[in-house]
Amino acid sequence: MKFTTLKALGTSAAISLMAASSVWAAECIAPANPGGGWDFTCRQIGKILYDIGQVDAPVQVTNMAGAGGGLAYSTVVAERNTDPELIVAASSATTTRLAQKAYGDATADQVRFVGAIGADPGVIVVAADSPFQSLSDMVEAIKADPSSVAFAGGSAAGGFDHMKPLQVLKAAGFDDITSVKYIGVDGGADAITQTVGGFTQAMTGDMSEIVGFIKSGEVRALAVLTEERVPGFEDIPTAKEQGFDVVAVNWRGLYVPGGISDEDFQKWADRLQAVADSAEWKQAMADNGLAPFTKVGGDFQSWIDGVVAQTEELSREIGVIQ
Amino acid sequence: MDIFANLALGFSVALSPWTLTLAVIGCFLGTIIGALPGLGPSNGVAILIPITFTLGLDATAALVLLTSVYYGAMYGGRISSILLNIPGDEPAMMTTLDGYPMAKQGRAGEALVISGVASFVGALLATIALALVAPYLARIAYKFGPAEYFALYVLAFATLGGMASRNQAKAGLAALIGLAIATIGLDNNAGFDRFTGGNLHLSDGVDFLVAIVGLFAVAEVFFFIETHGRDSAVGVKLERVVVPWAEMWSTRWTMLRSSAVGFIAGVLPGAGASLGSFLTYMMEKGIAGEKGGFGTGVAKGVAAPEAGNNAAAGGALVPMLTLGVPGSGTTAVLLAVLMTLNITPGPTLFADRPEVVWGLIASLLIANFVLLLMNVPLVRVFVKVLMVPPALLLPGVTMISFVGIYSLSGSYFDLVLMILFGVMGYAFRKMDIPTVPVILGILLGYQMENNLRHAMTLSGGEWTYLFSSPIAIGLWLFAVAGFVAPIFLRGMLRRPQVAEADKVID
Amino acid sequence: MIRTDRVFGLVVILVALTYIVSAYNLPPGNLFDKLGPKAFPTIIGIGMIVCAGFLVLRPDEEPEWPPRPTLLALGFATLVLVAYAYALKPMGFLVPTAIAAGVLSYQITPHRRAAVLVGIGLSIGLFVIFKYALGLSLFAFPRSLTG
Repeated sequence: MKFTTLKALGTSAAISLMAASSVWAAECIAPANPGGGWDFTCRQIGKILYDIGQVDAPVQVTNMAGAGGGLAYSTVVAERNTDPELIVAASSATTTRLAQKAYGDATADQVRFVGAIGADPGVIVVAADSPFQSLSDMVEAIKADPSSVAFAGGSAAGGFDHMKPLQVLKAAGFDDITSVKYIGVDGGADAITQTVGGFTQAMTGDMSEIVGFIKSGEVRALAVLTEERVPGFEDIPTAKEQGFDVVAVNWRGLYVPGGISDEDFQKWADRLQAVADSAEWKQAMADNGLAPFTKVGGDFQSWIDGVVAQTEELSREIGVIQ
Repeated sequence: MDIFANLALGFSVALSPWTLTLAVIGCFLGTIIGALPGLGPSNGVAILIPITFTLGLDATAALVLLTSVYYGAMYGGRISSILLNIPGDEPAMMTTLDGYPMAKQGRAGEALVISGVASFVGALLATIALALVAPYLARIAYKFGPAEYFALYVLAFATLGGMASRNQAKAGLAALIGLAIATIGLDNNAGFDRFTGGNLHLSDGVDFLVAIVGLFAVAEVFFFIETHGRDSAVGVKLERVVVPWAEMWSTRWTMLRSSAVGFIAGVLPGAGASLGSFLTYMMEKGIAGEKGGFGTGVAKGVAAPEAGNNAAAGGALVPMLTLGVPGSGTTAVLLAVLMTLNITPGPTLFADRPEVVWGLIASLLIANFVLLLMNVPLVRVFVKVLMVPPALLLPGVTMISFVGIYSLSGSYFDLVLMILFGVMGYAFRKMDIPTVPVILGILLGYQMENNLRHAMTLSGGEWTYLFSSPIAIGLWLFAVAGFVAPIFLRGMLRRPQVAEADKVID
Repeated sequence: MIRTDRVFGLVVILVALTYIVSAYNLPPGNLFDKLGPKAFPTIIGIGMIVCAGFLVLRPDEEPEWPPRPTLLALGFATLVLVAYAYALKPMGFLVPTAIAAGVLSYQITPHRRAAVLVGIGLSIGLFVIFKYALGLSLFAFPRSLTG
């Protein structure tokens, strides 16, 4: 069969390309298709773990897309609950969805969150020619007429990007948050084109999504939602210093199955800490617009619990959950 | 001129024995991956990402490899469309309509050569356009808001009337079924799931790959079981493969027009290659009229969608590079690759990293020529597929489809869904219900509803917003024309032999 | 006269009605979302009913359905494929693939030896290609056996 011959040719070409990849040690599940943030987390952390000698063989990355991470979550809980060699990429989206019961009956305590080792700071952005010069300008405009400002963001309604401006408005004492317009488009760059095109008045997203547009001068960031100004972007004020006490960062990290032993959990925590301390990871963060944000081990779990509770409260208020 | 200096820079980066080797490997792998049903360009590029890591390729080398795979897969998709009536990837679905009838007539070689050259023309023109106008063209994306995108999707569905064989209601029904399937899953505007029955597997919606592989590949297996391989292209006595110069020359305007339309469809982030090949096919079918014999196995019927989808593949790089907005699944993966290579696409990319951009354009040009040289002689090899006994070929295709779909989520659920689509595809073809509109509905339905609702959100519920810009109004006018024209033409020509002719499709 | 198109049209109408009803029972969307989660599905559902109505009123001539033994064979093939889908994960790649490919091969051309060879050849050949050339994560045998 000639078809097979052809494939065999391709096979041998490719086999020689990746000769060293047949033995896997640990497995990292990216709960999304290749190319997204979770895929990046798995591939980068997996690669660095191997490069710095924390694992003996390359980490195998498995993509398990479905239900915004819910499929991977339920699979881990149901089928891999005691697998000590399994890590799963996670981010703010994971906890947001858990808080909103978007993973069916799954709850956040069914797995163990190992840690976060980087974060994408939340930002609120307007087109360069927007009349809003500060976050207060925008908040005042919304207070006067809630329908006057429409936000575009990369997540679905009720998702993390939608929550960011609502948290700011809550902090400003504005309670009619359900009437604030939001459209969820395909990713941050798409949200920016809608805003630069004048279809929406503001964009809510992550720092990494806006870097190129900030440099080209097509958009202005009104605020970054971090404790301190972000290194490299010192001219963008935080929401906090403008009087809105909101911190919202999209952290990147891992969880492991809930049924593994404390020693195994500690082993992964140590490994993750080693990645966080490595020069390779610092480079990867700089390349991808991530800010340092390291919380590993027990601290992280209690921080997660707090975030989940807070998200749940806000979600109830905007009616995403009953 | 500036552009030549830039191109020289690009070629100085991209032209080395090492990168050329990578281009050849990439083109070859891409063509194979594209030809395998269930493994499309986005899988192909995604699969190769780890290889670029393992090899420690630098940015340019990685880009050369991955763009070769990308273009290669776009070429490869047509092969199984023509030979087996199974699109290798979703933009190639329109190529089945005339490609497979040609193969059944023993003209598989011609179909492959013409579509290969059409792919080359489309991709080449698109790459040149990319080099010339990308920074200016990026502005188009700023002009398309929810109302404009919604009008664009309406335009696509308005031309469906011409798609039907005999019964317009059946084409309409097929599209509506696709649109209904597209509403399954997370509702982006409300934040909860719809029509999933609580099943987590459905919460991301029905993947169009599952639908396309089921409707075409699995259904084809059922047909082979029924007929034991009679009435198919497999085993048809092949005429000697000669390059059909005259026939190819007759498609020159088709190729040029389709390249232009395909490129524009590619530039619009919400449209992409599938819509590009669909619109170009319908446009050429309309231009050729009832006498054109579209659907019976004509050269223009394979030239149009292939020029269209390859031009769209090039066009999709415009918003990806200049805005960081991926126009398709594949460009989304490419975007991710760029970002892991420390290249952030966006408005400043052309100024900040000229060596990357022009190296990419140069490597696209190289890949394109490699693919032409590779594809036309290889046609002889590919058509030999038809000499493989169906008892080996069809189970092979089925198993490849299963593994391809299984690799998406690693669950049996998508596989069962795919089998259901296979049963549906079999029944639909028996009943003379076209399946292409089902795919189109699934592909575009989600964005169509989303944009309609976004438009209503932004306007506060004011319907006139949908017609509030010149671009939107223009698209609506085209849509009305596309809907009405076939009805008028049909009335004027009093339904000639076209019904008989179209029947050959199924 | 009972016609396939009529039956199919009626089935579609029933499905569309169910679809519209379940759309109607969805919770309301966000306040800013003026169209809401129900409108688009309702429009689609009504469109389906209209198109299906045409099929009921003006059916095309009857398609050529295969004779009963062929239909049974097709049903059997479907069952084999479904069983294959369920077996792939717990039983590993090689054995289920060999069986499913062999059965399909036999159904297309009934040669027993050829079918066995096709089954074995395809399962091993494809496994090698997918696992080692394309790097997909497949398991040859049940994971419980290989660890």
